[in-house]
Amino acid sequence: MSVPSLSRRAILGAIAAAAFAPAIAPAFAQDAPVRIGYAIARTGPWSAGAQVTQEPNYIMWAEQVNARGGLSVKGKKRMVELVAVDDRSDMETVVRSYERLMGSDKVDLILPPWGTGANFAVMPLAQKHGYPMLSPTATGRKLLGMKNPYFFALLQQPDRMMDALAEFLAARGAKTAAVIYVDELFGLEQFAGLEASLKQKNIQLVEKKSYPIGVKDLQPVLNDIKSKNPDAFIALSYPPDTFLITGQSRAIGFNPKLFYTAVGTAFPVYRDKFGPVAEGVMGLGTWNPKSSAATKAYFDAHVARWKKEPDRWASAHAWAGLQILEQAVAKAGVDRKALRDTIANSEFDTIIGKIRFRNGENISTPGAVSQWQSGEFEVVWPPQNATGPAYYPKPAWK
Amino acid sequence: MAFWFELVATGLITGGIYALVALGLNLQYGLMRIMNISHGEFLMLGAYLTWLGHTVLQVNPILFLPVVALALFALGVVVYWLCFRRIIRTAPAVEVIEARSLLVGFGLLFLVQNAAYLAWGADLRGYSFLTEAVDVGGARFQVNRLVVFAFAVGASLLLLAVLRWTLIGKAVRAMMQSPTGAQLVGIDTRFLHPVVFGLGLAMAGVAGALLSMVYEISPGMGEPYTVTALIVIVLGGLGSALGSLLGGFLLGLVETFGMHYTSPSLKMLLSYAVLIGVLLARPKGLFAR
Repeated sequence: MSVPSLSRRAILGAIAAAAFAPAIAPAFAQDAPVRIGYAIARTGPWSAGAQVTQEPNYIMWAEQVNARGGLSVKGKKRMVELVAVDDRSDMETVVRSYERLMGSDKVDLILPPWGTGANFAVMPLAQKHGYPMLSPTATGRKLLGMKNPYFFALLQQPDRMMDALAEFLAARGAKTAAVIYVDELFGLEQFAGLEASLKQKNIQLVEKKSYPIGVKDLQPVLNDIKSKNPDAFIALSYPPDTFLITGQSRAIGFNPKLFYTAVGTAFPVYRDKFGPVAEGVMGLGTWNPKSSAATKAYFDAHVARWKKEPDRWASAHAWAGLQILEQAVAKAGVDRKALRDTIANSEFDTIIGKIRFRNGENISTPGAVSQWQSGEFEVVWPPQNATGPAYYPKPAWK
Repeated sequence: MAFWFELVATGLITGGIYALVALGLNLQYGLMRIMNISHGEFLMLGAYLTWLGHTVLQVNPILFLPVVALALFALGVVVYWLCFRRIIRTAPAVEVIEARSLLVGFGLLFLVQNAAYLAWGADLRGYSFLTEAVDVGGARFQVNRLVVFAFAVGASLLLLAVLRWTLIGKAVRAMMQSPTGAQLVGIDTRFLHPVVFGLGLAMAGVAGALLSMVYEISPGMGEPYTVTALIVIVLGGLGSALGSLLGGFLLGLVETFGMHYTSPSLKMLLSYAVLIGVLLARPKGLFAR
């Protein structure tokens, strides 16, 4: 009978562990762990983004911190304990989970959920309970317009990203552009930014159309745009549609001088799916392993831990947010009011460079444009951050 | 002229995809009144099997179709035996089958979807297969979409023919119209029920396999397809193979023309307007008898 003997062994093991524990414990004498709570999508439609960009970073960071002996809290080392909940991509679950984490569980710190919408929903709670939140996947003037003192946005705001794109186009002498954008807060915000930036650079907008997320066919729209022959085509799209737009544009032979798709373009799966077809496609991106030694180290650690690559935009911002949290806690401890003031008033060293916030906005990281070139998402604009020269006009579809 | 041709063809291709998604559920709900709300989850399983076959074993997804169909058929027979057999036997009326199987379907939905999350994680997956475009009458289409379209039309017509002209098809229809009467004339419903249910799941799996050539896949991909399938079935008339196909086409055409003349954002509005319009004019669907 193997079952009883197994359990007997387990019991013996437990007794042995209990007996040795007091002997081991003094060597590691330390305070209670720092409990850090968050809700994030492990299932449902948001999980594809959340599990590429965000949660792997949370877990890897906690593991690295604990391997270094813990989080430095005003000079004292304390272990990190993550309290994580699956929000099932459901807004109500997000709100309820954070209410519980901060209200009754009283965790020491929180990490934000995934996506602009969920962050928007949690922001007022964070302010009510006084928890600073460093958000790597929330972007939009509307969020910053709330003037919430506890909210810090790590990504470049839409106007910054779109300004960079318009500057690039102007520098290359583009005259016309066509835009489609997803009917979500993200698409609307990006489009508002882009429209203003293009106008400022005297680039004519020959077509603008919105579309619903998860659409199954955009060929009629792409055909219309192709017939207008714009210099630049910009899709302010979300992941499944980013793939659809790329595939169908190639199918109808729509190959403008600049072909730009938004969220998802920076995901490794984009390159893995399209292979050589991705060559010359541009999108939202900030960094790649060639940007600096720090990004290389981060990239390698991520691949070693998860057997998959981080995305070339918000993943590094997520990591930067954790670095900022770590540095701020070292200075201010887990007194959340002091911690907020420290985050708001200091400059931090991160893998994407120095970061300083003003009214919750990351004002240090410049807007950027990236482009797939031979399997890497090269940063091609602005020149001081570029890891390679841009292909413009875009090469023909392979 | 070429412009109109392209618009119509694009609409028909999209409609074909909708019809394909609805095929399996039409067997289960249309013919057996098993409201299998987890239809999209089994479609997702088919898509993942094909993705695994293509990326790990390097098998051509089209050659892999029979494997997916057989695997899902076997799974369907097991699922029927475990979950639906008792419901069918003990339900006093067809409406009761609908209500009870709906609850079981929800359970299956969570079970299958979460199993997929555990097995493959939440990441989007995808591969490129037959993405080249071909010229048809001056318009360009991706080959993989044409394959899906051809399969949808072929399978719908085959199903139509089997149901209308073969003995087994008549037996299946009889079983739906009057379960007791069917038994009285010697139709073995104990055999036929699991087989038809299994075929429904096999069709879902094949649809998923074909869709994985065109779209990206993730464990949560199934639910929107279940909704699409339900709209198409209700539009076409429960159990009508031709109705599903034409219902799918109608939806695809309305969406494509709507997208061209108004905005893609109005897509949902247009689809539901069509559904409501049809239901007002013909409450039992376009092709119900």
